[in-house]
Amino acid sequence: MGSKSSSLNKIPNAQELMQETGFSAAHILRLYERFEFLDVDQMGELRPEDFGAIRELSMNPIGDRIISAFFSPGKETVDFASFVRILAHFRSTETNRTRDGAQPEPANSRTRKLKFAFQLYDQDRDGKISREELLQVLRTMMEMQVTEEQLQSIAERAIQEADLDQDDAISFDEFRKSMEKVDIDHKMSIRFLS
Amino acid sequence: MPPKRKSNISINIEDVGMEVDASDSGSEVEARRKAKNRRAKPQRKAKRVSDDDDEDEEEEDEDQSPRKRGRKKKAKPRDSEDDEDEEEDNRNVKRKSSKASRKKAKDESDEESEDEREKKKKGASKKDKEESNKEKGKGKGKQGKDVGAEKDKKKKKNRKLSSSFEEEEEEEEKSDEESLSEGEMAALKEEVEEKKKLIATLRNKPWRMKRRLTLLKEAQDFVEKFEGALGKGKGRKLFAFKVMMAKKLIKFKRDFENFKTACIPWERKIKDVESHFGSSVASYFIFLRWMYGLNMVLLGLMFGLVVVPEVLMGLPYGSIPRKTVPREEQATAMDYSVLSDFEGYFKYSILFYGYYNNERQIGLLKFRLPLSYLLVGVGIFGYSLMVVIRTMARNANEGGDGGDEGDFTFSWKMFTSWDYLIGNSETADNKYASITTSFKESIVDEQMNQKDENIHLRRFLRVLANVLILLCLGGSGYLIYYVVKRSQVFANMNKDDLTWMEKNEVEFVMSLLGLVCPPLFEAIAELEDYHPRIALKWQLGRIFALFLGNLYTFLFALFDEVNAKLESEKDIKNATILALHEYAANYSSFYNTTVVPPQNVHPADVIRGPCWETAVGKEFVKLTVSDIQVTYLTILVGDFLRAVIVRFLNYCWCWDLEAGFPSYGEFDISGNVLGLIFNQGMIWMGAFYAPGLVGLNILRLLSSMYFQCWAVMCTNVPHERVFKASGSNNFYMGLLLLVLFLSLLPVVYTIMTLSPSFDCGPFSGQEKMYDVVMETIDQDLPAFIGNIFLYATNPGLIMPAVLLMVLALYYLNAVSKGYQQANIDLKKKMQMARDEEKNRRNNKDSTNQVMKDLEDLLPNKSLIPPAAEEEPPPPDVVVDKGSRSPKVKPGAAGKGVHLQRDVSLAAPNPRDPVTRDLGPRRGPPGNAMGPQPGPGKGRGGGRGGGRGGGRGRGGPPRP
Repeated sequence: MGSKSSSLNKIPNAQELMQETGFSAAHILRLYERFEFLDVDQMGELRPEDFGAIRELSMNPIGDRIISAFFSPGKETVDFASFVRILAHFRSTETNRTRDGAQPEPANSRTRKLKFAFQLYDQDRDGKISREELLQVLRTMMEMQVTEEQLQSIAERAIQEADLDQDDAISFDEFRKSMEKVDIDHKMSIRFLS
Repeated sequence: MPPKRKSNISINIEDVGMEVDASDSGSEVEARRKAKNRRAKPQRKAKRVSDDDDEDEEEEDEDQSPRKRGRKKKAKPRDSEDDEDEEEDNRNVKRKSSKASRKKAKDESDEESEDEREKKKKGASKKDKEESNKEKGKGKGKQGKDVGAEKDKKKKKNRKLSSSFEEEEEEEEKSDEESLSEGEMAALKEEVEEKKKLIATLRNKPWRMKRRLTLLKEAQDFVEKFEGALGKGKGRKLFAFKVMMAKKLIKFKRDFENFKTACIPWERKIKDVESHFGSSVASYFIFLRWMYGLNMVLLGLMFGLVVVPEVLMGLPYGSIPRKTVPREEQATAMDYSVLSDFEGYFKYSILFYGYYNNERQIGLLKFRLPLSYLLVGVGIFGYSLMVVIRTMARNANEGGDGGDEGDFTFSWKMFTSWDYLIGNSETADNKYASITTSFKESIVDEQMNQKDENIHLRRFLRVLANVLILLCLGGSGYLIYYVVKRSQVFANMNKDDLTWMEKNEVEFVMSLLGLVCPPLFEAIAELEDYHPRIALKWQLGRIFALFLGNLYTFLFALFDEVNAKLESEKDIKNATILALHEYAANYSSFYNTTVVPPQNVHPADVIRGPCWETAVGKEFVKLTVSDIQVTYLTILVGDFLRAVIVRFLNYCWCWDLEAGFPSYGEFDISGNVLGLIFNQGMIWMGAFYAPGLVGLNILRLLSSMYFQCWAVMCTNVPHERVFKASGSNNFYMGLLLLVLFLSLLPVVYTIMTLSPSFDCGPFSGQEKMYDVVMETIDQDLPAFIGNIFLYATNPGLIMPAVLLMVLALYYLNAVSKGYQQANIDLKKKMQMARDEEKNRRNNKDSTNQVMKDLEDLLPNKSLIPPAAEEEPPPPDVVVDKGSRSPKVKPGAAGKGVHLQRDVSLAAPNPRDPVTRDLGPRRGPPGNAMGPQPGPGKGRGGGRGGGRGGGRGRGGPPRP
């Protein structure tokens, strides 16, 4: 894989990936290029440290969560196929088209996008964002000058707003409801993937 | 480079394909679905209403569609493991449904011969297309790849290590190496073919004209778009060119937007401040910027029409007495102390009124300077009034569309506030700060909303506070009045007898009041416990009232001075005339001639009057300068020095200075805003007498922008309760308008009543300043215009005009009230519609949930009786549902939760609650008024009442 190949043939399972994720050939190529670029030691797999080269992610308060979202639990590396599958969440919705192959819901649907975002917050994967999890996010997002009490009240209010079944946590349904009017399709799509 | 061009084309095509597809496929698919429905319906259950071409029916069709989609989906066995939610993404569903419908169409091919034929044709053409397409695609793909490889190499070289997503984006825009995949091409071709067929057969379809037309239009658009993409040769190139231009245009638009943003002055600085100090502090800076803009226009008017013409075309310095420093002052005219008082050379310069000559026309252009001077002086007020009022009106318009954004404030802030494109650490810091600030603002708002205390106590305290403040204001007003009275007495006494205290009493009292009252008001305002945003307004209003006293004393002193000057001027004028007469008499008697040559006196030696206009202008300039000095010194000492001391003395002090007593200063919004407003009032009043003041003010605003931004960022701390400023700073504008009006009065008064000095300024020699206008009308304009003016100023005409205006005012007011009411009603209606929508969605959700849970629980997997009575479902669908439902549950925990919730929701949701609620509203039951449907059209019973309930929107998918 040393030479920079840009033909689809060099990419393993390219056709399948295209089928599965809805990316066009050019997108796959582009992603592959990017993947190889990030893959410093040319192993064909990315480690969490490799993602650190992306400054947008290292600046992001929940950047490490986003990075870890690329790794299926228990695995240290991510190969190209999973990389593409994860990125498929960020494909713009507008480019969906009728394809012949029968397919499940594509990864870039609104629900899947929301699910992806939801899982960034739901660290213990119990299907709910608990108050503790909210507080963690808040602490990373705010400057130092906010008192713990204020953080508590923010988390409290956020849960109150979204919580419909009074279980003191935000389930995915509640999350989706609260994000109903947010233009997720727009927010969670990367332009160069459209 | 033929290959390159080809690949170029292909990428464009693909892009367009995507875009167009996105916009069109939905409607197209829907149309197809509708068509399918139409055909399929007669075969379905008798109770299902086929959608006729009635408008209402179409609406219902929409409502039914989710069900249909769901059904179609279920008919397909290969739903995947990802299918976790019952509410699918719309687009996805559509795609599926279209697929399903296609398939179904093949199944149902025996229903209509025409359809059959169509299908066959389509199938054949599709195959052909695909084959040819594959060949093409391969060739193109190869070429594209080759070029792509080359390009890639180049790009790799250029690429830096720190390439970011954004760079990626840019590269993407440049890259040309994409190619269409065969499948996509085929799909596109197929769609185009279908559309064409639709156009061809549209005539035969049993649809309404309206629908046919819309469909025809859609189809034609689609074909037009894609024929280019799929065609060959010229059309294709043209199409590619069009697409390329479209892309370029989009990019250009984006760049232009960026450029426009970059052109807004100080936007970055203000954003910086806003992110750290909240929108309230930023509102001051935005106001400052607005003021700067306004003053730039004033500067343009003043300098362009008055100052520059005088400099270029007027007589030079030293040519006439008014443009020369008098002999006795010349020795000290360049001393700093004199200049800093705006005496000496400054007094006889372009800065002040007295310098301007009264020549009617100057220079080659025959520029009427005196007229221009007067018109500009008045025009400045006119323009300012217009701009202020227009801005206020625009702000008022912006205010209303808040809607119900307050639903999920905190959740949204928490989940969506981060900008994922931030890759710069400084920007990231700003973003952190702004998120923090916005959270704090929301907290304050929230606290205010939730407060529920003893309302009587609160009211009492508020009344008390207002009484206290009124007392304060009254007291200080009386004090000012008293002091001014006393100063008038002192003014008549001999100056040497007075002590320093007595001489400067007015200034002393004024500054004392200005120092003591604002903090006092603030302390009293604590009692009221308003939201800080409202408290700021109150504070502004109160200090404004206090400052009015300031203005009053200032103007009072000024008018005294002017009157005194007018008196002495009269004497000097008489003396000069007398001297002139004497000289003439002496000359004629001595030389025994009646032709008296003019006296040859050096301009510096001519006796001249006090020129009260220049004196007034000087007062304003001095006041402005001292105001600038005080403001900057306060910032330097009060904020900067304090911050330095607190910061560095903190290392060796008994208590924590930063957290304890002195702490860092907060930005004083009310003081700064009022300072700005009153300063502007000074400019408005003074500009007529000192044209240079406008330029001075520009310098002040400019420097204050940078200086205050710096001071805020490095010496102040955010307010304890950061609050969100109201979107429009109309309150500031309102105060400004008031000040503008107040400053308009004295200027107009002097223009209309006082006679100008006889030996200085553009109006010298005239009885009144406005005589310049009369003169122009008389001499330079045709006679009839003068007549018009004569009539126009007739009281008989003015009175009706005023009456008319009052009537218009009344009428417009009534109209605006009406609109307001309509707005409120509309808002209510929208809210209601939204709630309804929400209700419906929620109910559907829950009903679905109930159904699924019940199905899980029941062993024989049958639906609950009421549903079965209405429409007995065929077993296959139920089985499908059953097999699907376990997937819907994310996990065991989630299931538990849902069960709980469902128990509570199950009771009030007997299948179709919403429809039943809506029943009466949609029309009288029993279809009394609705159009009578012909039974032949397969339209069952009426739409109202029980039937409507039977096939409500809320129900779960039923066949």
